[in-house]
Order: sequence, then C-alpha cells, then structure tokens
Amino acid sequence: MVKRKHVALWLIIGALFASLGVTAYLAYRSIHAHGGSLWVLLQNGVLTAVSLYLLLILILLVVRYGVVILCSFMDHLESIQRGPAKYTEAELNSLPMVSLVVPAYNEGLVIQPAIRSLLQMDYPNYEIIVIDDGSTDDTYEKALVVAGESVDIPIRVITKRNAGKAEALNTGMSLAKGEFILNMDGDSKLSSNTLKECVRHFSDPRVAAVAGNVKVINRSNIWSRIQALEYVEGLAMARKAQSYARVVNIIPGPLGMFRKSVLQEVGGYDHRTFAEDCDLTLKLLVNGWHIIYEARAVAWVETPTSLLNLLKQRYRWTRGILQATAKHKWALWHPRKGGVNFYILWYMIFEGIIWPFSNLLSNVFFIYVSLQYGLIVLLFYWWVQLTLLDLIAATYCCIIEDEDPAIIPYAVLFRLVYINIIDIAKVLATIEEWRGLSMTWGKLDREGSL
Amino acid sequence: MDLISILATVILTTTIATVLTGFVAYSAFKLRDKRRPKKHAQHVHQADGDQPIFFSRYVPEQSGRHDTTNINTP
Repeated sequence: MVKRKHVALWLIIGALFASLGVTAYLAYRSIHAHGGSLWVLLQNGVLTAVSLYLLLILILLVVRYGVVILCSFMDHLESIQRGPAKYTEAELNSLPMVSLVVPAYNEGLVIQPAIRSLLQMDYPNYEIIVIDDGSTDDTYEKALVVAGESVDIPIRVITKRNAGKAEALNTGMSLAKGEFILNMDGDSKLSSNTLKECVRHFSDPRVAAVAGNVKVINRSNIWSRIQALEYVEGLAMARKAQSYARVVNIIPGPLGMFRKSVLQEVGGYDHRTFAEDCDLTLKLLVNGWHIIYEARAVAWVETPTSLLNLLKQRYRWTRGILQATAKHKWALWHPRKGGVNFYILWYMIFEGIIWPFSNLLSNVFFIYVSLQYGLIVLLFYWWVQLTLLDLIAATYCCIIEDEDPAIIPYAVLFRLVYINIIDIAKVLATIEEWRGLSMTWGKLDREGSL
Repeated sequence: MDLISILATVILTTTIATVLTGFVAYSAFKLRDKRRPKKHAQHVHQADGDQPIFFSRYVPEQSGRHDTTNINTP
C-alpha cells in the first residue's frame, strides 16, 4: 500500500517535470522561429510567477485578517460577558496563593519600580521571589532595599550564578510556595488587578496558563510609538483570536501565570532556545493544555527607542522563535499527532518566515518593475491595500483595547518604513539561524521609564 | 503628473530608502555586536558545562517578614 502511494507520487512528480520540459521546449522553438530572446521569456516567466505568488500571499493575508478579527471579536464578546473580576469577602479569603517570580539580570535601573508595583497588587495571598541572575550591576542590592520596605508581602531575593533567564525562572519555580506561579520580567510593571483577573481562569481544570496583555510605557519617540501600536495590534488581534480557541501560542515573558503542577509536569523552561516563553507554550499545547489570554491583566514594559536596539531585540526573538519551532517541527508534518500544534506552527512559520520573505520579495519586485517598466502605480496599489488593512486593524484594536487613538496614524509609518526594516532583519536572522551561527542573548539597555 | 503618480513616487523612494536602511542598520547592529566585549555575554548553552561562580554578596541580617537568601551560600 505504502509502495503504491510512493509510486503514484513519483509518477505525479515525473509528469510535472515532463510537462514543464515540453512547455520549455515549445517556448524555445517558438522564440527561435520568431527571432525572439530567451532572456525576455525567462524574465517574463519569473515576473509572472512572482506576481501570482504575491497575489496568493495577498489573498492569504486578507483571509488571515478577516479570520483573526472575527475570532478576536468573539473573544472580546466573551470577555465583556465575563466582566472584570469580582469576588465576595468569603471568596477573597479562599483565593489560592500565587508566587510572583521576577528574574533580573542587570536591571538595576528598573528593578525597584518593578518590585514596588508588585507590592500594590490587589490580591490577598501572594509572595514575591526575585531571582538575581548573577547581575554585574546593583540589581541585587536594590532589590534587597525594596524587600526591606515590605511589611505584609513576603519577598525573597535570591542571587545565583549567571545561567540565563530560563534557569532563573526554573529556580523561582522550584522555590515557589504558591499553587500558581506568575512569571514576569524584571523590567515590567504590572497592573494591580493582574492576579485577580488571571487566577479566575484556573477554575477551568483544562487551563494551564494565562497570558497577559503587554503595553508600551515609554512612548517617547516614533520608534516606541510604532511599537506601541504593534503591541496593541498583535495582542488585540492575533492573541485574542488564539484565546478564543484556547491556543495562545506565546505566553509573553513580561506576564504569564501558570499552574505550578503543570510547569513541573512539562519540566519547566528549557534553556536551549532564546525564546523560552514560546518553547514552554508549545510544550503545554502539545500536552493538550488550554492557554488563555487575559486583556485586563496588563504588564507595562520599556521598548527599544533606537533602531539598533530594536533590531537587537527582534533578532533574538526571530531566532528564538525559530529554535522553538524547530524543537517541535515534527508537528508540522503530522497533523493528526500534532493536533493544534500543527496549525499553530504553520501559523508561526507564516508570520516568522513566509511573510517577511514575501514582503522583501514584494519590495524588490515592485522596485524592479517600477524602474524597469515604469509600472510605479502597481507599487502604489499594493501599498494602499496593505496600509488600509493596517489602518482598519489599528482602529479596531484601539477601540476594543480602549487605547489612545493617537497611535492609529502610525499604521502608515508602520507599513511605509517600520515593517520593511524589521522584515529585513527577520530574513537575515532566519538565514543566520539556518546557517547555525552562534548568538548571545543581546541584553537591551534600559532607560528607567517604569 | 497626477496625484497617484506623485504618491507612487514618494512610496517608491521611501521603499528604496527603507530597504537600504534595513540592510545598513542590520550590518551596523552586527558590527556593534561583534565589537562588544564578550566577557558578560550570556550564551545559550552556558549552563551545560560551566562551573558555578560564587559571588561574595552583602547579605543583611534577616528581619521582619522578608527573607533574603543567597542561593550560593554553602
């Protein structure tokens, strides 16, 4: 049976190549007979193929926007129906303990406001564990100062040799006393309702984790404002849509709450990738757990304000996500066994590899046809279609996230400048990952905006 | 020249400029990354075979409800 299947496949491939060969031969004879140029034919063939490919990508993109916005809206309706978390006095007294784990490496500039924000949590039963991952600055000492200020909330400040964020989070997990663990970044500030909003989702025993909302706090220049819009769009559309299906594909580093027993069951974080959050999320999904996005639980983060720092961050994210994807790549080719991960991984491949390559290809294609054939108007219409999609998405996201509408016009700059530069970095980072070049974490310089 | 042609020219110019900027900025980022001292760089497999490094940290006396711990303290 298997052999027959293979024979049929080879026959189809052979037939395809044969028909291509016959077509090429006929084309060559026709050109030869009319005194034409093979180069022009080749050029036309390539341009036609690229045009058809871009048309297909555009259709996929429009479908993707449509589906994502629809699912995101459904999740939004669910969220409205659920309303903000409210507990009775009796319920408040019986809420489970949550351990907040704050890994920090050279976060001296922001660690104090980050921990102080945790002391303001509107939740009766929690502890804070700060893991200093062998910082070379005064992170540890500064964390100790805030720990000394706390009267009601137990804070443990722990220092260990530098071994990466994944190890720091695993250390925090092993020391946690709570039934649930909230992992965050040392440069994040959480909204006071975070614990109440997240913990209620665990009443469903199938839920392993809740991903929080991440917002940009330092909207000081064009780069950070565009990123603010990018975060809002990414979370309010894709993350919300995934949440509707309970398959959020990345629990963000700045805010994710987990069932401790499940974290232990899957072996915690793996330090072999640079996107430990993405890798852990995929592990949870493989094991059949549900992951939800909670928009009301907000982590405020600093984003890079210079282009080079932004590229440094995106370089790590791109390679990290590719590493995590590669770890689970078997699911790409086994839809039955892979289950939901089959779709999630293909979605990540589309977002992380296919779309950046296609965007770069489209730019090169439109620049070429504009300069070579004067078809500049094609570029205009391509750009207008994408920018309209971005503007619609930005408006929708700002409405449902109750965000500042002043960031909507940045969708134009996002499409015109930002995404072209970021996609080039993604393409080059993908090539480096494919070549297996070594890399480092790429720690970002903090501004102290928290 | 009509409005669409003018806008198209602006978009074409910007696209060419951003594509070039993308490659130049990426090269600059890689160059800066290479020139950065590697002493404190966190490598992805660092934890596999390295020996533990013990820091001699100042640990204040424990008081109140907060607990300060040095995980490397024997």
